[in-house]
Amino acid sequence: METKQQQKSLLGGKLSDESFITLFMVGVLVLVFAIACLVVPNFYKPQNILNLITNNWFVIILGIGVTFVLITGNFDMSVGGNIALTGVLSVYFCQGFNVSQNALANGLGLPYVVAVGLALLCAMGIGGVNAFFIAKLKVPSIIVTLGTMMLARGAAQVITQGAQRNTSLPDAFGVLGSLNIPVISIRFSVLVMIILIIVAFIFEKKTVFARRIYLIGANPEAARLSGINVSKYLTTLYILSALLAGITGILLASEYKAGVSSRAMGYEFDALVIALLGGVSIAGGFGSVLGMFVGAIILSVVTSAATGLLLSPDWQFILKAVVTFIAIVSQRFALEKRKG
Amino acid sequence: MSGVPNGISSEEHINVITTKKESLRIQLDQSAALRSNIKRYYIYVVLALIVLIFSVVKLDNFNLSEIFDRGHFLSPDSVINILRSAVPILTVSGAFTLLMISGYIDLSVGSAMSLNAVVFSLMILNGFSFLSALIITLIVGSMMGFINGYLVMKLRITPVIATLVTLSLFKGIALLIVPDGLSAIKSSADKVMPAWINDYGRKDVLLGLPWAFWVAVLVIAVLVIVQRRTLLGKYAAAIGGNRLAAELSGINAVKMVWLLYIIVGFFAALAGMARASYMSLGDPLSGDGMELSCIIAVLLGGTAFSGGEGSVAKTMVGALIIVCVTTGLMTVIPAYWQTVAMGTVLLTAVVLNHLLVREKVKA
Repeated sequence: METKQQQKSLLGGKLSDESFITLFMVGVLVLVFAIACLVVPNFYKPQNILNLITNNWFVIILGIGVTFVLITGNFDMSVGGNIALTGVLSVYFCQGFNVSQNALANGLGLPYVVAVGLALLCAMGIGGVNAFFIAKLKVPSIIVTLGTMMLARGAAQVITQGAQRNTSLPDAFGVLGSLNIPVISIRFSVLVMIILIIVAFIFEKKTVFARRIYLIGANPEAARLSGINVSKYLTTLYILSALLAGITGILLASEYKAGVSSRAMGYEFDALVIALLGGVSIAGGFGSVLGMFVGAIILSVVTSAATGLLLSPDWQFILKAVVTFIAIVSQRFALEKRKG
Repeated sequence: MSGVPNGISSEEHINVITTKKESLRIQLDQSAALRSNIKRYYIYVVLALIVLIFSVVKLDNFNLSEIFDRGHFLSPDSVINILRSAVPILTVSGAFTLLMISGYIDLSVGSAMSLNAVVFSLMILNGFSFLSALIITLIVGSMMGFINGYLVMKLRITPVIATLVTLSLFKGIALLIVPDGLSAIKSSADKVMPAWINDYGRKDVLLGLPWAFWVAVLVIAVLVIVQRRTLLGKYAAAIGGNRLAAELSGINAVKMVWLLYIIVGFFAALAGMARASYMSLGDPLSGDGMELSCIIAVLLGGTAFSGGEGSVAKTMVGALIIVCVTTGLMTVIPAYWQTVAMGTVLLTAVVLNHLLVREKVKA
């Protein structure tokens, strides 16, 4: 016990480096929020603060999967395309069978539950393709997932003929996306996000599986030599990330009652950005889901403050780039300071 | 000896074994030679096949007498058109290959292209001469490459993340430069784009092809020589093969890769202005997806994923394959198949690359 504590104190206090970075980013969040309150009118109102968290539920759900994949030292850029594909598929499976002259109004006429199940399976299929190329063929993840991104988005475009499908849908289709939870008065999608965050947090802190993910990220070769089946872990994580993207896709399609092939364009970048803001590091098995959550809120404060200042939406790209850059550099600086 | 069959002496037996071994070795040599020949020449066969298929195939009605007639894929007009639209990728993918050989990647080439197209056409619109606009654009492009190199080599940010950040940055700047309510830098009520803007990218100077194409040919020639005959090419391969070993033997990896990033930025600028000149406007989205096209071309050309070996010349064949596929597909299937087709080509290239390029043993 004593030696363990000594080791801990040698590494710098009782906090782990991950908690330190998370706390550091909470400090940054408070700072950014204070500045936003000063320059943007009405920014401090409780409703606005609630919106900052709830309006980004989709990126946060994606961020969970992307965070774990990043911790192993890999990328998943296929999540955006996967959202579009799953949404479009859930619509296609649900649409009435042979009900109209218009090809875009005809689907398979399956019950909603079956349609959702099949669409999620297809999403996990994309994750499986990712895993096969990355874990078995050892192809760099960035190349593979950019390829499956095109594959998924392209399939969505083919099914919708480059546009969208939104007609002849059963009433059950729109229920999930517009459902309000009565007592706490939040939307179902937000509730899903909160539950997933809690589950992911417990998973990260309490399971052997999660600890091994960190080990793989820190040194894949050492992990393999110590008997961890690396490709099994990578496969599970990619399928998990694809499943989360699929859930997001289904909720978004239900909310808009449409399967749009251009949905979620660029979300893969947003998910990566919030993970990086939260201190997840691609090199060395480092990061946490909680940090990612804080990162998501920082990004949301920055972008909505920009909107509040009536900046043109084109500013978003520059803001995201600058914020990510500052986050990476300052986190590294803070960690180096801490180690002395 | 127990293994010797009855009726022959052990000497004969040894002879039999040696001949067996010999023939086995010859077989092995042959299969190795076959493998390396496949590796060396398959990409040319693929290009020829694709050209042949698009020249011949008529999906609804296959008729041999109409060979080379359908879609006129190989007619002079069509070939000129394909080569003209291939200019940007031919210009930029050579430098991209060198960077990937050294084991690094630049995902911001597409955005850099767009931003340079916008900068170039903005200057032309505001009365700059062609030459001054050209020089300033090339300087701006090199600066972008410099920024990428700084982030990756000095600040040691992972190449993918650093160049994704600059992708977003360049794209944002390009979108901001274009005035609100317009989709691109182009002629408006008070300012007119001079007609000579598309002299460079469109006007026939030789064999029906414009200046931009011949400049791209020159760029390819120079980069092939750089790769095969200069220290930069050798050093790039050495760094990609094993960065530590390269540094220990005295190569300044930081400077070399930084230089390669600047070169990529420079040629992205050249490609951007070729595109702007071709379309006579500065479209802030015109380079979108160029990074993926470059990656596909490089992988088709047999450059190893992790760097260390590759060929600029073969990347060019890969680039032509991409342009032929995209142009050819447009004549056969609706445009909304384009993305899925390119995704399939990318993953096929990955598989081919995996099967044919020797896996490097990781240290």
